[in-house]
Amino acid sequence: MYILTNAIKNLTRNTGRNVLAAAVIFAVIAAAVAALIIYNTAGGVIADYKTRFGSQVVISVDIDKYVGSNPPRGGQSAMALPQVTAAQSISFADSNYIREYTMRVSKDVTGDDLKAIDEGSGGVFPMGGNTLGDFMLTNNFDDFESGMRYIKDGGPIMNSGECLISEEFADLNGLKTGDKIELFGSMSNAEDGTKRTATYSLTVAGIFYDFTDEYPGMRMPLSNKRNEILVSTETLTSSMLEGESGLAVSAVFYLKDPQMLADFEAEIRGKGLSDYMAVRTDEAGYNRIVAPVEGLMGFTLTFLIIILALGAAIIALLCSIAIRERKYEIGVLRAMGMKKKRVALGLWAELIMISCLCLCFGIAAGTLAAEPIGNTLLAEQTKAAQTPDVPRGPINLNNPRGTEADAIPPLEQLDIRVGTPVIMQIIGMTVCLVSFAGFVSIGKITKYEPIKILSERN
Amino acid sequence: MKAMNIDGIDKPENEKYVLSLKNISYKYEKTTKNVLKNVSADFETGKIYSVIGKSGSGKSTLLSLIAGLDVCTEGQILYRNEDLKILDRDEYRAKKIGVIFQAFNLLTNANAIENIVLSMQISGNETRDKTGCAYGLLQKMGIDKETASRKILKLSGGEQQRVGIARAVSNDPDIIIADEPTGNLDTETESDVLKILTSLAHESGKCVIIVTHSKKVSSIADCVLTMKDGGLAAGK
Repeated sequence: MYILTNAIKNLTRNTGRNVLAAAVIFAVIAAAVAALIIYNTAGGVIADYKTRFGSQVVISVDIDKYVGSNPPRGGQSAMALPQVTAAQSISFADSNYIREYTMRVSKDVTGDDLKAIDEGSGGVFPMGGNTLGDFMLTNNFDDFESGMRYIKDGGPIMNSGECLISEEFADLNGLKTGDKIELFGSMSNAEDGTKRTATYSLTVAGIFYDFTDEYPGMRMPLSNKRNEILVSTETLTSSMLEGESGLAVSAVFYLKDPQMLADFEAEIRGKGLSDYMAVRTDEAGYNRIVAPVEGLMGFTLTFLIIILALGAAIIALLCSIAIRERKYEIGVLRAMGMKKKRVALGLWAELIMISCLCLCFGIAAGTLAAEPIGNTLLAEQTKAAQTPDVPRGPINLNNPRGTEADAIPPLEQLDIRVGTPVIMQIIGMTVCLVSFAGFVSIGKITKYEPIKILSERN
Repeated sequence: MKAMNIDGIDKPENEKYVLSLKNISYKYEKTTKNVLKNVSADFETGKIYSVIGKSGSGKSTLLSLIAGLDVCTEGQILYRNEDLKILDRDEYRAKKIGVIFQAFNLLTNANAIENIVLSMQISGNETRDKTGCAYGLLQKMGIDKETASRKILKLSGGEQQRVGIARAVSNDPDIIIADEPTGNLDTETESDVLKILTSLAHESGKCVIIVTHSKKVSSIADCVLTMKDGGLAAGK
């Protein structure tokens, strides 16, 4: 106990020397705290992105593989690209590896007794020997969630065979809730290519106001948002026979764990996914967002190591000088009968107490400095990571809207987090640092016999 | 060299000797010449011994060995029949012996009281009011409270020596050794210090060993030991 009380007294007895040591320790701690906070925050950001984008599965045509196996002949490109059918998407979603999935299904249809908005303005476009219909049946209700559409009359779809139509479409055709409409769409047999017309008999369950952009694409009836007829997935797939294709499907799967990708791919290959389709996570999007953060993380780690190494060296040197100055004091204590380990413990306790004081101020200063420093460094990394070239990758036919990562801009600001683990790391690091420095300097001095120290002074 | 006691009469080893030197020799590291050669002597409690001799005759080396600050290269130093080489020398220095250095060797960044209290703490002294006890000791040495609270460097040489003596006796040791205790002091202070040392031996029953060049100091000794060429001869 007296060792501690004596150590506390010594803090005030050697003010000048201790202030100098404290200044250096404070600088090292503040720099290390800032680096560690940035490093941990960047690590957290990466882990978060990894979970989000690393788990989003993209199924797309491996264009290199496909072109390699189906070279263009006679000046014509073999454009009948493989695709994932609605039935396949549904079966893929039925997997233990999947956390959640979204599936957008649509089908272009015509209606004998129905007029389309913009009818005649764009005509019908032949595509693959077919003509496109005037209306789009879809199960995409995103615009209702975003508030761009809301039901004016009637209610939401409750049963298979019900639909929602826009107010403009209803007015044009004199439709009201409860009315029945008939639509026709072309289906083809995947094996022999024979075509069949599927009939959709629908009841108008509701009419909605539509504030969406009327022409997100070309000005033609099919791409006019007011001509969209919203139905359930069940309604869309119920008219399709086994082995038929004709529905446009866009499915996004989210794995429970990014590590499950290989197992999930093996499973869906077994369920009939074409060899020309690539199964991958959104690596490009992930890299685009995470690369600057990884760069920042690498930079801060290097900085942290340098700071700790330099800090340890400087503190050890400073301690050595301080201990040399106190050689006489140590000699007196040893001559008075104080054991070497107690002398060392006292000196170490002084160093730890100074460090504890510096820790309080260092953590505060480091935390304040971490955010502006981190953001400046991140901006530099983002600038360095930006490349004008877009690398050629697989074509994502099944998710034309792009991945979640595509919609997110690169990180511009770090959300600095200082939790208990970071503080514990800093405390541990500081104790190790000063203990190492203390061990080097104190160990050196305590190996001398007291008579030697005192005789040198005398 | 035959062992001898201060009366010059051969006596068998028994417990009345608080300290015995048995044919001790000493040489410094990386040297071949012995500074001390086969030195033997016995020391009793309640008496003052002075060790005199020319500079370089080995007086201070002998003192260091007795103080447990160093170890003899040959022979034995027995404290109450126990070899110092076997004893815990830190414990021995803390509890059994008090050393008064010529250069005082006090903690200069602490005050007089703190020096004494720390010495008591190191020795494991169980006195509750150590500060009060330290004040008492300093008072006996002629140091008042105000002086006792001053930093060591603010004290005069005589005051520092008194603090050194107070520290040496603070743990009630059997042996007190003093290396040129009056070397830095004026005549008046020298007399005061000698009075204290005499009192410690004759009234408190301590074994006081003084290394000195001073005839005045030697005059108070019960036994004068002369160091010559690394050997020890008894006088008085």
